[in-house]
Amino acid sequence: MMDKNSRLSLTAFTLNGQMVEVDAPPGERLSHSLRERLGARDVKIGCNAGDCGACTVLVDGAPLCACLMATQQAMGKVVETVSGLAADDPDAKALADSFQAHQAAQCGICTPGMMVSAVALLRDSPQPDATQVADALSGVLCRCTGYRKIIDAVVAAHIPGLEAPADGSVGSPIPRIDGAAKIAGAERFGDDIAPPDALVLRVIRAPHDHADFTFGDLSGFARSHGLATILTAQDVPGRNRFGVIPGFEDQPVFAEGRARFRGEAVAALIGPAEAVTALDMTVLPITWAALPAAMTCDAAMAALPLHPDRGETNEMCRGFVQCGHAESALAEADVVAKGLFETGFVEHAYIEPEAGFAEVHDRQVVVHACTQAPGMDREALAAILAQPLDQIRIVPTAVGGGFGSKLDLSVQPFLALAALKTRRAVRIAYGRVESMQSSTKRHPARMQVKIGARKDGRLSGMAFDGDFNTGAYASWGPTVSNRVPIHASGPYRISDYRAKARGIYTNGPPAGAFRGFGVPQAAIAQESLFDDLAAQLGMDPLEFRILNALDNDTPTVTGQVFEGGVGIKVCLEALRPAWQAAHAESGRTGDPAIRRGVGVAAGWYGCGNTSLPNPSTIKAGIRPDGTIVLHQGAMDIGQGANTVIAQIFAQAMGVTMADLTLIGGDTQVTPDAGKTSASRQTFVSGNAAKLSGETLRAQLLALVNAGPEAQIVVSDGQISITDGGQMHMPDLRALPVDGEGYSLAASETYDPPTLPLDENGQGSPYAQFGYAAHLAVVDVDTRLGTVTPVRLVAAHDVGRAINPLLVEGQVHGGVAQGLGMALMEEYIPGRTENLHDYLIPTIGDVPPIETLIIEEPDPHGPFGAKGLGEHALIPTAPAILNAISRATGVRIRQVPATPARVRAALKEAGYA
Amino acid sequence: MNPLTYEKATSSADALERHDGDAAKFLGAGTNLVDLMREGIATPTRLIDVTGLAQGIEEQSDGGLRIGAGVSNTAVADDTTIRAEYPALSRAILAGASAQIRNMATVGGNILQRTRCSYFYDVAGSRCNKRTPGEGCDAIGGFNRAHGILGVSDSCIATHPSDMSVALSLYDAVINVEGDQGTRSIPINDFYVLPGDTPDIENQLNPGELIVSVDLPAPSANRRATYRKVRDRASYAFALVSVAGSLIIEDGLVVDAGISLGGVAPKPWRATEAEAAIVGSPPIEETFRNAAQIALADATTQPGNVFKTELAQRVIVAVLQDLAGDAQ
Repeated sequence: MMDKNSRLSLTAFTLNGQMVEVDAPPGERLSHSLRERLGARDVKIGCNAGDCGACTVLVDGAPLCACLMATQQAMGKVVETVSGLAADDPDAKALADSFQAHQAAQCGICTPGMMVSAVALLRDSPQPDATQVADALSGVLCRCTGYRKIIDAVVAAHIPGLEAPADGSVGSPIPRIDGAAKIAGAERFGDDIAPPDALVLRVIRAPHDHADFTFGDLSGFARSHGLATILTAQDVPGRNRFGVIPGFEDQPVFAEGRARFRGEAVAALIGPAEAVTALDMTVLPITWAALPAAMTCDAAMAALPLHPDRGETNEMCRGFVQCGHAESALAEADVVAKGLFETGFVEHAYIEPEAGFAEVHDRQVVVHACTQAPGMDREALAAILAQPLDQIRIVPTAVGGGFGSKLDLSVQPFLALAALKTRRAVRIAYGRVESMQSSTKRHPARMQVKIGARKDGRLSGMAFDGDFNTGAYASWGPTVSNRVPIHASGPYRISDYRAKARGIYTNGPPAGAFRGFGVPQAAIAQESLFDDLAAQLGMDPLEFRILNALDNDTPTVTGQVFEGGVGIKVCLEALRPAWQAAHAESGRTGDPAIRRGVGVAAGWYGCGNTSLPNPSTIKAGIRPDGTIVLHQGAMDIGQGANTVIAQIFAQAMGVTMADLTLIGGDTQVTPDAGKTSASRQTFVSGNAAKLSGETLRAQLLALVNAGPEAQIVVSDGQISITDGGQMHMPDLRALPVDGEGYSLAASETYDPPTLPLDENGQGSPYAQFGYAAHLAVVDVDTRLGTVTPVRLVAAHDVGRAINPLLVEGQVHGGVAQGLGMALMEEYIPGRTENLHDYLIPTIGDVPPIETLIIEEPDPHGPFGAKGLGEHALIPTAPAILNAISRATGVRIRQVPATPARVRAALKEAGYA
Repeated sequence: MNPLTYEKATSSADALERHDGDAAKFLGAGTNLVDLMREGIATPTRLIDVTGLAQGIEEQSDGGLRIGAGVSNTAVADDTTIRAEYPALSRAILAGASAQIRNMATVGGNILQRTRCSYFYDVAGSRCNKRTPGEGCDAIGGFNRAHGILGVSDSCIATHPSDMSVALSLYDAVINVEGDQGTRSIPINDFYVLPGDTPDIENQLNPGELIVSVDLPAPSANRRATYRKVRDRASYAFALVSVAGSLIIEDGLVVDAGISLGGVAPKPWRATEAEAAIVGSPPIEETFRNAAQIALADATTQPGNVFKTELAQRVIVAVLQDLAGDAQ
């Protein structure tokens, strides 16, 4: 046996031009040594299995997954990471500029892997084409961008002097203000900031879908394995339950005797990194007794209740909307289309697994973690820890993708409990499998839908019954159940409508928020049936939609009437040229077995909470030295809130983006801007930022009695105000400062006007909707059942594009996720728990996307702006399914439309 | 957990010398072994690094090629002779994994990679006869759309995940190994062992034996070959079905045919009876359909993977038709 301290284990190599030596245990991953022993936190860990490529580094010039290489194998080699390349390598510098100009980075977690892989390509091929780029980057997964901007950035990297950035005013396409740091690998995510001596926490999770368990001698185990402590349900001082909807707090931090889904937490081990790393998890003192598991809604409705304290069946909740008389309208319809549609669990698959650290300062527990909702995290922790709010501080890190799942608690309660118990800093980063097992998913849906139309093409009645599998715990299931009946009509005028949605507990993973909250599932059913109706009527599917589209002054199915800003018709009309062009190429291709088809679909989404208060507060202040500080608490999870909120604030205050200093969503110093969800930040927090900017401007102008048209100029920290040809220099230092050191400060709140829904779901649930229509062209190989998207066109009514570059980014990313949902993604507990069994689109899967920005101003939106995040995904899957149908005549009613499913449907339809 | 040691071998003889029993493992690029160690499926205590050994690709006097076991997958795929003379091998590797993995992965490691069956990996939650002999197999009757339909048994329906080996099988490659007992050469089509009731035994390597090289026989004149893979996304996914196929056509008749299947069996599946049925027939769709029927005649399916039979037949026909079309 080798001596642990032997110099034999020392590995020497060159890291970014410096000779380094590292004393790593045999077989340690190079990625781990680089990050933890050599401080190279620019090397990101997404999967530790070679599936995501985030950890790509150059070893002797070749891009490799650092997570699969034993550190000892780097002996004598030259290792380059993104931070070294960005600092010194001319190719990388040009590439970084191009990435920023093209907005090739969104959340930034995959960006180091993309950059490093692309630098290797550029060294070989200085002017690569798109195919070469796609090939070289095929091993790096991105969940935000849809890849097209990345391809554009690499192809254009050799072009010097990319356009000068715009000025940052509302409507100008400036690159994101935090982009440069992400591209250079300097951004700090959940696992990048723990102090070096932090203890490490590891969660013990259920290996079965449903099981009882008992613990043996945990404290003895902790002692004999050098652990600091082991936490279980008994260590939760407050309420061992959390949730996101009041009244639905049903998920324990640690399960108590029974685990209800595979991956549920039952205990947490805390100890020094070496002790936790060395643990043999097979000898833990836990005994499991597996129980029958109900994995589908049907099975669960026939099974014993998972939560006997919450009801006698597994039905968790219902949503209902009714107007007119659906059944009689359907009976009177000239044509009726109906069908059963099914979708599966969909995994968010952000490339950054949940991570963070916590420590205790002056009796206050401080949690640093990636999150979409710092304010909600704090409130939930207060109940779990039985501590007042002011003794809990949430300091969000950068977020490497969220898409809804980082709204829920993940690492936070474990870290907070452990820090309070050990009085030490404690850290954790979920492994990929752990992240996929334990995080929330998109709800599987089973939807029975019937829609009628008259000969003149007008809709006549719609009935929707949907069961949504919410998994073992409620999470955002109640929201899905509420939202679906409101949205299942699509953005169309339907006077006779009945929609019911049920959320049902099963032994699946908790299903929660995922870009669209159930609306994408419903859109698949409704938009598919619209094509069937158009076919029965002999109408053009696009014109059928335009004829029935909602308009200003037309009631929605909840009876809500908008006087302005209903942009769906304009979106659909914007697709006409592409629709007509695509028709010319429909049908046969060069290969008789491959058929090309074009499909369209539309979508809408109400921004913000459904008929519930939904305030955002934005604070800003001016320091005596003239620094203008914006407390930007709207979490930027890659979508660009840091940039957009600042643009709105700057415009309202009448200063430039460059004049602002930003402080993030730290709950100690920044007011709650609400959660980053439901496409609400640009709309709700944007309004708060606008009000705040206007208030601060008014205060500043009042100092010098300037009129409302006065100009504010910040130069070298000195604020001057020009009014009617006169320049004033307000003396900020003469003013008293508040507790935070501001001479002037403004804090403004905006809460969108909504009205409650009655028992028939009638009311005004949202202050605004956003609208979208997508067109997809696909090739279907009728022999093999494979579907290849050829291109997509996405028209989006965003009211006002605060930043068109970021709008395109959201659209591309949403389209890519919608494509994945349509064609390849299905999470199956125990079976697709990693990124090689669970497939998300790679760079080769996403075809060119044309974005058409429509601006129908919203009366409530800041500068007319509407939300966008969810909308970008909703129409994509039905547009692809409609394209498959128009290519082949075959209707796929269950996603994902894998080759096996498509081929089976083709066979049934008589295809050879 | 046992402490782990790492040592770098300076030659194949040195590597063999260092290998002292079951607790030792030869470490190639680690793209599979490091994963297996993380999951607790492989639990070596001694890693003997053999990367850097056996690096060359050399032409042999008989016109064939010898590829060192330590050559990276990228180097094999990019080799000009291989691209010209063994195109199915180059294409299979490029269809196989991401560029990052191909840059790391070695020829020897690729041949020896273990199944991606999710039950095999699910140490705590599932039974697996390959991992724990005699325990049972949860894939049978479970979620098995990725699983095998040929050569499987009641004990195990896992597939071999390699793309490269499917092409090596088509070209009748020979694997050269060294061990305590000296050197020996094993045709790749005999190298893998079907699961039967001992699915933990996957190949003919004895403990301590090391793959040192792979020989490709001299290329046949006028032989056309290619590789086609059907998967659920564009890149970096394991095959639902893949086919390495070859044809030699003379005077309007097939004089030689090769079919090797991936994604459907515990090993690269050489469809010799189907090949024989093609030889002597005209290269037309009917011939290929007939061969595809024969190739899958013994398929044993599960509800989840029943689609693979027809899919494999169709890919066989498509590949052979493409080859026949190219020849005209």
